[in-house]
Amino acid sequence: MSLLAQLKILAVDDTTTSRLLLRDALESIGFRNISVAADGEQAMQAMMKTPSHLIISDMNMPKMDGLQLLKAIRSYKPTARVPFMILTGNADRNVLVEGRKLGLNNYLNKPFTPADLKKALEAIVGRLH
Amino acid sequence: MIDKHRPDRIHVIQGECVVTDEKQKVLTTVLGSCVAACMRDPVLGIGGMNHFLLPGGGEHTGYNEAERFGVYLMEVLVNGLLKRGARRENLEAKLFGGARTVRGFSDIGAKNIAFARHFLDNEQIAYAGGSVGGDQGRRLEYYPASGKARQFLLPPTAAPQPRPEIRLPKLPASGELELF
Repeated sequence: MSLLAQLKILAVDDTTTSRLLLRDALESIGFRNISVAADGEQAMQAMMKTPSHLIISDMNMPKMDGLQLLKAIRSYKPTARVPFMILTGNADRNVLVEGRKLGLNNYLNKPFTPADLKKALEAIVGRLH
Repeated sequence: MIDKHRPDRIHVIQGECVVTDEKQKVLTTVLGSCVAACMRDPVLGIGGMNHFLLPGGGEHTGYNEAERFGVYLMEVLVNGLLKRGARRENLEAKLFGGARTVRGFSDIGAKNIAFARHFLDNEQIAYAGGSVGGDQGRRLEYYPASGKARQFLLPPTAAPQPRPEIRLPKLPASGELELF
């Protein structure tokens, strides 16, 4: 099994269709171990139960948005160093500056292609193939 | 696009999404095989409209570029409403357009309708009616505050022809701001 297929990735988005789309893009890149969560709270619970190697999260979500999730992930010792990428609709500079302060590793604008996603992930973890 | 002579009207062109909480605003568009989703929170009386086209494409697995852009435009509409205080469980949507304006070609309008309905089903957003299909274009007016919509059917020759290109927002795809 390739290293890529073994990497466990958590995809977080409150929009069901966007979650399916993200999963689809991750599978097309070669990820096979994909978990999903519908909001920040669900994502945090999933990470506390069985941590993933990488998190991709939507920015705008109810209950706990992408930055709040990032803050919670960085504050919890077992997950504090997990690479975190945010998906955003408008690359709001203030959000990204705040994210950077909190330890955000990268961001990606929606809509994105699987190639965009792969490039953004490779900027964090190195070449995927 | 705001009409200089009628500032209460906002014209939504293909690839755009407009959300407003101004009660007097009217959202307008002209549709051929494109579909416009008109969505609102009836409790707050705020709403918005998008206008999209999923060009061509046969059977396939996974999402193509056009569908990804369609999902994006639907998500922008939902998020725009949620940002203004709408509640997801209150959202309702009307769908318009998706006409088969050119005979003999694949029915792009039907694909647009199926895509929009599938999105609403997936997101459990209530379908509040509308008018889709047929072979005539439509001129549409949507009043977000009341949820009322008026459509005027266009003569078959007057239906707007879809622009096959996808209008993507001009933003860096990722990490190109100097923050990363």
